[in-house]
Amino acid sequence: MSKHNMSDTLTWLKSAPGLSIVISVVVAVAATIDAGPYLMVNMVVTGGMLALVATGLTLMLGVLNIPMFAHGEYFMIGSLTAYYIFTPISEFILEHPDSWLVTFGPFIAILGALIGGAIAGAISEKLVFGPLRRRSTDNWVMNSFLLTVGLSVLLVNLHQLIFGADFKGIVGYWQGMPISIAGAYISLDRALAFIISAVIVALFYLFMTYTRTGMAIRAVSQDITGAEIVGIDIEKIVLLTISLACALAAVAGGSLLFMYPSYPTVGLEPLYMAWFVVILSGLGNILGAVAGAFMVALLKVITMEYVGAGWDFVVPSALIMLILIFKPSGIFGSDVRGVLDK
Amino acid sequence: MLLEVKNLNAGYGYLQILRDVSLQIDKGEYVGIVGPNGAGKSTTMKTIAGLISPMSGSVVFNGEDITGLSGSAVAKKGISFVSEEMNLFVNMTVQENLYMGAYTIKEKHLKNERLEFVFELFPRLAERRKQLAGTMSGGERKMLAIGRGMMSNPSLMLVDEPSFGLAPQLTTSVFASLDVLIKNGVTILLVEQNVTKTLAVTGRGYVLENGKVGLEGNSADLAENSYVKKVFLGV
Repeated sequence: MSKHNMSDTLTWLKSAPGLSIVISVVVAVAATIDAGPYLMVNMVVTGGMLALVATGLTLMLGVLNIPMFAHGEYFMIGSLTAYYIFTPISEFILEHPDSWLVTFGPFIAILGALIGGAIAGAISEKLVFGPLRRRSTDNWVMNSFLLTVGLSVLLVNLHQLIFGADFKGIVGYWQGMPISIAGAYISLDRALAFIISAVIVALFYLFMTYTRTGMAIRAVSQDITGAEIVGIDIEKIVLLTISLACALAAVAGGSLLFMYPSYPTVGLEPLYMAWFVVILSGLGNILGAVAGAFMVALLKVITMEYVGAGWDFVVPSALIMLILIFKPSGIFGSDVRGVLDK
Repeated sequence: MLLEVKNLNAGYGYLQILRDVSLQIDKGEYVGIVGPNGAGKSTTMKTIAGLISPMSGSVVFNGEDITGLSGSAVAKKGISFVSEEMNLFVNMTVQENLYMGAYTIKEKHLKNERLEFVFELFPRLAERRKQLAGTMSGGERKMLAIGRGMMSNPSLMLVDEPSFGLAPQLTTSVFASLDVLIKNGVTILLVEQNVTKTLAVTGRGYVLENGKVGLEGNSADLAENSYVKKVFLGV
């Protein structure tokens, strides 16, 4: 029995997911020992945020077959919402330092970002994606791709028009001493940002795996006609999926407002990074996207440390090209379909 | 009358396939539609199931007009469609596929009752309950598709080409399972390429040609009909 398990583990280690995960862990540990624990902290925080944005992207691509290039704008909407909710709260906190809002105010802002993203997603479906879906007969992937690029430009410029092009940021969510783990100091904001993203990704995974609605979303992604036959209301599931995906991006934007102040094009970086993740891991499973998010974060952090800031886009991009040439279905996507074929 | 289709015209885009198709099915009946390739058999099924919206005509189910309703709305009324392509959820297990078939049923214990019923009918599915649907053989997938169709406890089942691509032995077991359903009081509308077999098992039949109903009547009479014999049976 144990021998059998051993050989199973060995096969997994030799497979692409096993190999890449093991290499990533080894590299992460080695770099942490070499450069210091802050590297690990940066990787974990960036990876957590990336996991949120990338699962949303995976959802859009896997369920609706939309190559979403406006996903960063929902990150931006989230950070904007959190900013406008948190600014009055922080002014209130200044006058009333004993208020319960000191602890729970930031959560209200982040929850607001989540809800704002969900509403923005639902509106986009009603105004943009729904009408296209009813009219489009073929070439859906191309059409929806162009549509999302247009939507992205529109949202960026709407932000600039209404709220201006300046940086709208905050100093921090939670005051208080940084937590010290193994000699590395982690600010409360970073620790909580990571915990929030971990909790949300875990909840999302459980939702997709065990609930009736989550299973319906998976059913739609696997066979839309089959889903319709068994009585799943496709329109409802599509609406839910889009608002869920956008809410995930928005909550990332909201919880990272202290790192990324809101400005019109703040979403570009998370968007590109999330695309790296989706191409790296291949679409189809959420766990793949989560693992991929931490790998891309590691790559980014290591590049910044050893090659230099400014190269952190170049190295992942080069890797993506290699993956698209040699393993187009992604590391974790071997038993599911490639990125865009359906 | 359980299902009444009246002067149905339907097709894909500008291409009209069905021309004034009318048919009636009573509760508990076993009705077959036969006809050559391209006659509109599958189109008839898809239109009843709500996957194609008709250009004109009406579909009345249980005294309720369901013309032009979406596929999911039709499924909620109690019509279950087993398509020729099966449309299984390939990355889900057999059991998950079956549970999805009972999507319209909310109560957990009713779902489990249905699951037991399907497993009794197809013991093979019970053995493979943890296997991914995409990794099963053609015959097992067919069983799963029919099993999934039964999970919602439908009052009418539309079964499209159940023997398509199956070995003769499996065809027999699939037809046997449909017989069990009939005995359980389910009404079945069957589309088949295998004319002899269809006319042997069903009570009534329609012959579809070029999108029109050419002949209709008792299956036994149709099997004896000289035109049917000449065109389909080659006698």
